[in-house]
Amino acid sequence: MIYTQKSPALLIIGLSMLAIWSGVETGLLNPLLEHLSPDKPYKYLNEVSSLPLYFGVIAVVTGCWHWLGTHKAGHLDYYSSTIAGGMLILFITMLIRWFIAPQIEVMSTGIGLIGNTGKYVHELLGLNYVVLGIVTGIIIVNVFKVPGWAQNGVRLSRLGLKTGVILLGALYSAAELKNLGGLSIIMIGIFVLGSVGIVLWIGSRRKISNSMGGVLSAGMGVCGVSATVAVAPVVQAKPVEIAYTIGTILLWGVGCMFVFPIIGHLLDMSYVQFGAWAGTGILNSAQVAGAALAFQPDGIETLMVAEIFNITRVLILPVIVLWLAIWYVKKEGAVSSEVNVGHVVITKFPVFVLGFICMFALSTTGAFAPASHYQGKYFGNTQAQGFKQENLLNSAQIGVLRAEINSIDRTEHRAAMRSLIENGKIMTVEDDNAIRSIINASALSGQAIEILSAAHHAVRHTAEKIEAFRQWITWLFAFGLVGLGMQITVSAMRQAGGEPAIIGGIVGFIKAALSLAVVILIVDDTV
Amino acid sequence: MTLFKHILLASHGTSGAVAAENMALQVCASEGTIDHLIVVPEFWQGMTGDDWLNNGVTRDQFSNYLQTELGKEVDQQCDRLHRKVSAHAFNYHSLIFFGRPGQALLQCLKKQTYDLIVLGSPRPRRMPGLRSTLLTKQLITAIQTAVLIAPYPKQPPA
Repeated sequence: MIYTQKSPALLIIGLSMLAIWSGVETGLLNPLLEHLSPDKPYKYLNEVSSLPLYFGVIAVVTGCWHWLGTHKAGHLDYYSSTIAGGMLILFITMLIRWFIAPQIEVMSTGIGLIGNTGKYVHELLGLNYVVLGIVTGIIIVNVFKVPGWAQNGVRLSRLGLKTGVILLGALYSAAELKNLGGLSIIMIGIFVLGSVGIVLWIGSRRKISNSMGGVLSAGMGVCGVSATVAVAPVVQAKPVEIAYTIGTILLWGVGCMFVFPIIGHLLDMSYVQFGAWAGTGILNSAQVAGAALAFQPDGIETLMVAEIFNITRVLILPVIVLWLAIWYVKKEGAVSSEVNVGHVVITKFPVFVLGFICMFALSTTGAFAPASHYQGKYFGNTQAQGFKQENLLNSAQIGVLRAEINSIDRTEHRAAMRSLIENGKIMTVEDDNAIRSIINASALSGQAIEILSAAHHAVRHTAEKIEAFRQWITWLFAFGLVGLGMQITVSAMRQAGGEPAIIGGIVGFIKAALSLAVVILIVDDTV
Repeated sequence: MTLFKHILLASHGTSGAVAAENMALQVCASEGTIDHLIVVPEFWQGMTGDDWLNNGVTRDQFSNYLQTELGKEVDQQCDRLHRKVSAHAFNYHSLIFFGRPGQALLQCLKKQTYDLIVLGSPRPRRMPGLRSTLLTKQLITAIQTAVLIAPYPKQPPA
């Protein structure tokens, strides 16, 4: 079978990307960029003036070959056929991140702040490029259908997400991984085992079949659709039971992806708190990443926390599959075959987690940034270390700080502030930590906090490789989530119903509410 | 009562479809033929949804398992209806499709001329079952053959 389709679509996508790049380079798009970012420089200028060129050239060359070349069945044909779909997803992501999401931001800020929340509509509803990208993917697959030439490439989205998780491994410090890992093992352990147990218990009370109980408990408890896919053959679930379960999980997951960030913003949750809540409370793993990026679109701190929870879930998956397999064999007696423990563990082990661990190990050796750096960030207040002279505080700023220094109670905080006033910049790491504490305490005026934040950012630099990783991770997740959106069909969601809808609703709600309470009560703002 | 020689019957064994089967048997002429249309709806294709954590082995295992199970269900339905139709001394043919039910039916009508199409009523709200309807406005307007729609049974048919 020949997979590559003779279509000019990829060539057109490539030419469109090059048109964007040339529009930016020639200044033709300047009025649009100024409109999208009034009063400040357009934040994606670096991306928009480079990425469309690189990918545009690849798409044009491959597009000519796809359209005009001859193709023969084989591995090369199969892999090359994925490029068109991958480029389609990438092009959609570019349009949404660079143009559509900023336009929505402009419209939202035009409406003004919402009540006393201190937030604009787009911030409150999480209408950023990630959410809009997933929604666009869902609209494309359900309204227009994914075109034939792109269908093979849509599967690349999984590769994007897994690569993103692997790269993410480079950004954790050992202490963070230890603390987050410990927290996630406790939270996931309690809530996964709790949910699986509750579903099995409710299932036995409502007299649902063992196969349905098994598949539903895995889906509701562990990682949603992925767990259902892994467990269904093991517990010999019937097609209708699989359809009910996956429909319920998809419907619930998509709903959570929109609702969780809104609640998180309303409760003023920290990145760590929200990441832990999303990682525990959202049934489906894909929507965990979506919600984390929706909550914090211009940073990956929330995603870093949420993904640790996702990794813990997927590591628990083989254990749950084993548990349910043994439970099912016991319940069904001689009808089922024996459980091959080794086979289950090997086939269900998530290999990409090894990549994550490798990247983390490499990062601790200082391969990407000196080991003394925290998350690839380092302190430097000299020109050689990256400090810019224009960031020295001016007399007006010093005047503001001098007027408010007496509002600071703690001696070491006041000393750090005094040193900043005297030198016009932060002089030591300890002073920087003290200044950060003053910022977090929010005891000073907004103007003073702004000056302190600027002084802090002026001496905190990110290692180039780590900065590049952060950019790539953002893009890989955005790419992956738009592609996953293209695989969420309304016809699959419409199958939500029967007992799974009732049990799933009860367990999903309990899990979301209880994990929210636990996170608020026991999870600190930082790790 | 007018009887029909060649009937196209859509059934996947649901209560509404079984009512349609019974009605088809009542209106089929002696030595007539019933073509059994059974469609595996296309939503199954999207049933792995947005799973991204599993490896290729697990996904393949799931797809193979699902295909086998759906195949078993189709075989069971065909065998059941074959026996039922043969018991009334009518001829039986099965037509198995994957895709949209309405389009599958129109495809059958393109290939073969029928005297009558027999369909079950859509499932009433709140009744459990998969959501994949055959009876759409688009289908009804496209069909040029007489259609008989069996009322949904008040009690599950025997």
